Amino acid sequence: MNEVVKPSAVQGSQPILEIENLSISFFTKRGEIPAVMDFSCAVQPGEAMGIVGESGCGKSTVSLGIMRDLSNIGKIVGGKIRFKGKDMGEMSQEELRSIRGNEIAMIYQEPMASLNPAMKVGQQLMEVPILHDKVSKEEAYKRALETVRAVRLPDPERMIRSYPHQLSGGQQQRIVIAMALLSKPALLLLDEPTTALDVTVEAGIVELVKGLGKQFGTSMIFVSHNLGLILETCDRITVMYSGEAVETGRIKDVFDRMRHPYTQGLFRSIPLPGADKNARPLIAIPGQLPLPHQRPKGCNFGPRCQHFVKGRCDADEIPMIPVEGHEGHFSRCIRFNEIDWAALPEGARKSSEPVKPGAPVLKIDDLKKYYRVVANEVFGGSGEGRVVKANEAISFEARESETVAIVGESGCGKSTLAKVLLGLETASSGKVTLGNSQIQSTGIELRDVKTVSSIQMVFQNPFDTLNPSHSVGSQIIRTLEKFGVGKSVADRRNRMFELLDLVKLPRAFAERMPRQLSGGQKQRIGVARAFAGSAKVVVADEPVSALDVSVQAAVTELLMDIQRKNKTTMLFISHDLSVVRYIADRVVVMYLGHIVEQGTTDQIFAPPYHPYTEALLSAIPIADTSVVKKHIVLEGDIPSAMNPPPGCPFQTRCRWKKFVPGNKCETQLPPLKALSDGHMSLCWLDDEQLATMEPVISFDAEHAAHEGMPEDAPHGSGPGFAGEPPQRPHGKRASAGAGEDEDSFAQSEARGHARAHEQRDDRSEDFGASRTANSGVGPISPLQVGDGRQADDADVPSAFEDDERPEDEPKR
Amino acid sequence: MTVEYIGAFQVILGVIARFWPVWLAMAIVVGASIYYKKKLGLYGQIYDNNVGIAGVLICFFWLFTAIFSSTVAPFDPLAQVPVMKDALPGAIVPDTGAVYYFGGDKLARDVFSRMVYGSQIVLIIAPAATAFALMVGATLGLPAGYYGGRIDSVLSFLANLVLAFPVILLFYLLVTPGIVETGLPVWLAGLFFLFPIIFFVALFYTRFKNRPERLYLLLGLTILIGGWIYVGLVFDADPLGIVSIDPNQLNIFVAVVFASSPGVFRIVRGLVMDIKTRDYIAAAQTRGESPWYIMLWEILPNARGPLIVDACLRIGYTTILLGTLGYFGLGLAPESPDWGTAIKDASRLLRATIHPALPPTIALMSFVLGLNLLADALREQSLKD
Repeated sequence: MNEVVKPSAVQGSQPILEIENLSISFFTKRGEIPAVMDFSCAVQPGEAMGIVGESGCGKSTVSLGIMRDLSNIGKIVGGKIRFKGKDMGEMSQEELRSIRGNEIAMIYQEPMASLNPAMKVGQQLMEVPILHDKVSKEEAYKRALETVRAVRLPDPERMIRSYPHQLSGGQQQRIVIAMALLSKPALLLLDEPTTALDVTVEAGIVELVKGLGKQFGTSMIFVSHNLGLILETCDRITVMYSGEAVETGRIKDVFDRMRHPYTQGLFRSIPLPGADKNARPLIAIPGQLPLPHQRPKGCNFGPRCQHFVKGRCDADEIPMIPVEGHEGHFSRCIRFNEIDWAALPEGARKSSEPVKPGAPVLKIDDLKKYYRVVANEVFGGSGEGRVVKANEAISFEARESETVAIVGESGCGKSTLAKVLLGLETASSGKVTLGNSQIQSTGIELRDVKTVSSIQMVFQNPFDTLNPSHSVGSQIIRTLEKFGVGKSVADRRNRMFELLDLVKLPRAFAERMPRQLSGGQKQRIGVARAFAGSAKVVVADEPVSALDVSVQAAVTELLMDIQRKNKTTMLFISHDLSVVRYIADRVVVMYLGHIVEQGTTDQIFAPPYHPYTEALLSAIPIADTSVVKKHIVLEGDIPSAMNPPPGCPFQTRCRWKKFVPGNKCETQLPPLKALSDGHMSLCWLDDEQLATMEPVISFDAEHAAHEGMPEDAPHGSGPGFAGEPPQRPHGKRASAGAGEDEDSFAQSEARGHARAHEQRDDRSEDFGASRTANSGVGPISPLQVGDGRQADDADVPSAFEDDERPEDEPKR
Repeated sequence: MTVEYIGAFQVILGVIARFWPVWLAMAIVVGASIYYKKKLGLYGQIYDNNVGIAGVLICFFWLFTAIFSSTVAPFDPLAQVPVMKDALPGAIVPDTGAVYYFGGDKLARDVFSRMVYGSQIVLIIAPAATAFALMVGATLGLPAGYYGGRIDSVLSFLANLVLAFPVILLFYLLVTPGIVETGLPVWLAGLFFLFPIIFFVALFYTRFKNRPERLYLLLGLTILIGGWIYVGLVFDADPLGIVSIDPNQLNIFVAVVFASSPGVFRIVRGLVMDIKTRDYIAAAQTRGESPWYIMLWEILPNARGPLIVDACLRIGYTTILLGTLGYFGLGLAPESPDWGTAIKDASRLLRATIHPALPPTIALMSFVLGLNLLADALREQSLKD
């Protein structure tokens, strides 16, 4: 048995919850499957503990174990959980029940599933005090109203009278939190409470949760896969891997000076500010999470660790070892004092040349898509249906080998746009030009094979993207057959193998069924399928958002590698601005069917912003302790597309509205205003006000210095970050020939600006020269662009070996 | 003339002994299945489950009984031995020394042999009718669920119409001589038996459109075999004289398919509406697949789990329906040994003698129970995946 870990943040006070060497197993027909092993932590009063890990690491099992709410096959097989000093293992069912929901409350991921749809919110809330404190109905109502107010819901009386389905997702989650708070619990367990919500709504919930600790003195255990969220909400963090806690300590210690290779791997694989797809790419953790019954001897992370030493790391079970100089910082790594923490994994590529965008491949001009909602389909047709305006006046263009990100929250119309592009829907009006042909009103069935294969899609959900009934190989072969690639069955089979090589999967996978693949592998097959017909435009609809962090990096890098080789244009649909900043060359921000802002990535991430972009930027959690964010929390929810507000679509939540004279925002749709070259914003604000906008994300230079960051660290100079004047002087630093001795970041910056210039030049050409002349240049015809790549890909090594390497260390 | 009897114990032993080919076949098939269960997919997984094993055993028992009827049964189902009228179980036929294990019925026929032969009729009509109902339901349910809108409205309305009509009345109408004379059942049969051919033609056509050598072979085979069976069943005009069906059985067949295909239709339609929202369907659409390819090759295989379970339950239901029809004296010939007719015959004299009614009843019950257990096990296993 390992030593008992007792971190104590506050001397002398008794922790609310103490977990000692907790082990939980599930007993199935195949025998015992250990889900959590030797987990220890302590939560002090008023403290928030974050538990971070990828799916399957046992973080949710820990929280259920604390509640003693394991299903009938789960069992606590070792260790103790002490709540306020009392061993929960010795409590009777009766005692446990009085603690659950009263002293320990839990908030789950899916708010709708936590509320009873048949009961009014008020009744459900009142149940808590009536049950636990045995108070009268009037008293219960009073308390319920109070708490609904405390979670900052508008119009509490009305809320209390509503049914759950009448509330939005964010409001529902607030109600769930209110219900948890009603009994004034000493400990609050939050299991991914914001994962199902939109980013701006999430920001509101996070702020609320943060305030709770202060307001009620509640201790919290916050389970999440998102390091940024943990940073914003917690005081201490425990990183879990494969059923074990691998590192625990104060947020600052772990984030700035992590002492476990897995934690470092996690940080290296998320796009923190400073990561750059060309100069400083992400590093994915190689390999896969071991299955519970296939865990290696010794360190569980050993097989995936670059610092693995045979004979030491796999000799014996590794205990939690205290890290010197940090209070309560422990790591389950036997070699953390010997490791060179700045070392990069072997074979990681240093950097790659930025890609020069070519001529426009896809042009979208004033595209509109309206849906008619008919009340009754059977007998209807006569009554007037309501119109949903899913897309309003969408205009932008994408160039060869460029990545254009389309950003927005649910219901903003980005998926509709993708559907129109792919021909699953036809446009109501406007033009979509792919190459030389207009495709806006050609449905997929009317498109010729060439058009179909030149615009393809990578889907969001890896578990849905492959048909579970057909083998992986046959699905790719079918795609090739459909695109007319190869003459015979054998030809297509060969091409299929080449595609598997391209996405770095072993050829043996061709025979496998999709259920035998992990999420990341499935997504790779999805990528292979999209590139099967040498697509010119690939629409990637949140291709990595459903994957685990370390896998996300690998798939993102893969996508970009293939894109680079094939000179493909990528439309990257996402709500996650940190990924967007990393991957995109240009960004289009959408809200309620409108494009509210578009420009290069640098322009979008630097002031002046559109007010909505500003809020979005502020809402993304960033896992970097040196980042200082301005807090902008939007009021209310996204209006329904069925019933959009008049005037500016964002006016209901805009914090800048008061600076616009008159009621223009409420009555008139703002014009698309050019802020700078190619940077457009749909806003009434005038230049004066725009000039007052401050950068949302900036670096605390002092903090960075304190950390002892290397000179060329990305601080303060990343695209769109403070440290540079807001009105960026184009070309000032990027002037002729960035010297070799100039730091890498300045170089990338320079490239960025150079790119901007090029784009501008192209555009002027575009509008100057006649269309026909432009299209004659011939960027459109190279359908064969990718066909030549097979030769270079044949020798691609197997999975994960050539993941890219950043120029220098991310935070340590 | 007095009839001699053997004891109850001997009856049991004798019956078990008569079933010897069934035991042998079951031992071989089940043994092989358990040995190779890892390679057998969903069917192999049934053996991981006690309920499933019970279901499989019961179903196999009746299946092999039907196959080996002529060996198992000691007498012809229609042969009468006058002295054995209403004989009690275990009665020995005076001349030959053979035994009426379950006694004789009111027409002095061997109840045991009739039960064994009855399984043949049940096991041919029930699964076949279910298969046809599945084809009809699937072929109509796929477009209804996939396209939605007007097609869905019209087809659903028709399905509801059939479902809302009292089943027994429907059967009465379909087998009434007056209706039969109009040729309606034959026309309906002509319509229903067309569906499997359409189904397979569409299946192969959508898949191998771009590979003519494969396509023509498969289409040719489908049309040849399908057409041959079609002509034989519907018009009783098989040039080779192999495929033919008794007009009464055809009537029943049509009635059963007619009554159960709306149920299949609704299930398929619901499944399609769910599955068509998946990303892999969108992926198929974005690579330009035709709607029928998507329905038949992308959606239908993923709807198989619930459909298999439903088919099992439906075979059981059809078996009971056949019993009911037999009980009302509809359809099959009065001397037919099928279980329903046997129960009807025996029930008339239930007060006098019980024993002729019991074997067909227990047979019917156990077979339906076996199918239900099988369906349960399949459902459980398919949920695990």
